[in-house]
Amino acid sequence: MDVEKKNLFKKEQEREVCMIEVKEDELIRCPVCEAVNIDKGKENKCRRCGSAIYKHRTFQTEKSWAYLITAIIAYIPANLYPMLITKQFGTTEGSTILGGVLMLWEHGSYPIAAIIFFASIVIPVLKFLVLFYLLISVKYPLGKDRKVNKHKLYYLTEVIGPWSMIDVFVVAILAALIHLANIEIVAGTAATAFALSVFFTLLAAHAFDTRLIKENR
Amino acid sequence: MKLENEDALDDLVICHKCHTLHKEINIQDGSKACCRECGTVLYRYDSRLAEHGLALSIAALIFFALANFFPLVKIEILGHEQFITIPKTFVSLFDNGFYIVGLICSFLIFIFPLMIFSIYVCLFCLLKLRIGETLSKELLILLSHIMPWSMSDIFLISILVALVKLIGYAQIHMGIAFWALMVFVLLDLYMTRTMHISEIWMLRKRIFLKKNRKEKSA
Ligand SMILES: [Zn+2]
Ligand SMILES: [Zn+2]
Repeated sequence: MDVEKKNLFKKEQEREVCMIEVKEDELIRCPVCEAVNIDKGKENKCRRCGSAIYKHRTFQTEKSWAYLITAIIAYIPANLYPMLITKQFGTTEGSTILGGVLMLWEHGSYPIAAIIFFASIVIPVLKFLVLFYLLISVKYPLGKDRKVNKHKLYYLTEVIGPWSMIDVFVVAILAALIHLANIEIVAGTAATAFALSVFFTLLAAHAFDTRLIKENR
Repeated sequence: MKLENEDALDDLVICHKCHTLHKEINIQDGSKACCRECGTVLYRYDSRLAEHGLALSIAALIFFALANFFPLVKIEILGHEQFITIPKTFVSLFDNGFYIVGLICSFLIFIFPLMIFSIYVCLFCLLKLRIGETLSKELLILLSHIMPWSMSDIFLISILVALVKLIGYAQIHMGIAFWALMVFVLLDLYMTRTMHISEIWMLRKRIFLKKNRKEKSA
């Protein structure tokens, strides 16, 4: 009887040893397959898909910064050069992003002007600012930081970000559709710059490690 | 919090929107579990996920093929008729020397959507046949890398914006491909909403766990 009890106790103890003690804020989500993993500090590998989750505590933001700065640099010529060039009966006329929006507004196509304005100016600038804020705030905690749900902010930019491609697609469609002898629409230099800018902002967002945001849980 | 082993972590879910930690509970077939903080859908349970997924992705591929072969829109301008197809949109960018935009556009509206649904078809076939444990893993990883880069829905809206710009200058006729693209986008949206990638991971785990156990006991 006594021996049995002892054995039972021993077994219980062994099971206790097998259990892993985890703190809730040590659990992280794999960016690739979304499996929950335990944060082991350096060099985490996802237990399900094998992707690297944490590389080094000081390294994670650099890639994201590089992409973000490239995107901002590309955004400058995107606004200065013409996006759309209309060749009409021998005259060539180019319109920049903002010029195109203003022209649409004057013609009375308010909804389209608003869509293009949002997609090409509000969303990219907003995304730059949000990424800027996130990248700075993970290194240097700012004043009332805790009240902002940065995960939600990040999620929002991830969802609305791709919509800034609208103007590039519109230009591509118009250029493919209208090339007659008298009237021709061609894409301008800004289209390349803008597409690159969107591309690099998306890369910056994906390179940003959401596990850096920790204080909300 | 105490866990028996690392596999027990599969019972936990972290909301992808607000990062709140949840414990997974069993739910009824066909129902969904939502985040208690923000209400986002965390996971669903569909006992016939592989069959549904296979049917939907094959349908989507068919509509995608239709959307690429037929003209999207036809316009009549100054007595001339012009039309575009999806491939023509980025090919004309190449013709005009816009290689970078052309390349980016061709990936976003053609190559990635095609890849995603081909991967879905392969994946669900593998899961249905219970083979390819490592291949299905590779495919799932690839899928989650290219998923955010597919922009068929944005392209669809862009067509409408471009057409509104042309109202008054040209007569516009919608082509078959436009409606096919619309169905494709709706299927795409429905699939990404109802068949979240983590559910496919869980399905894969269940299938191969069962299979490996059977092989061991046999
Ligand atoms: Zn993973
Ligand atoms: Zn949530």
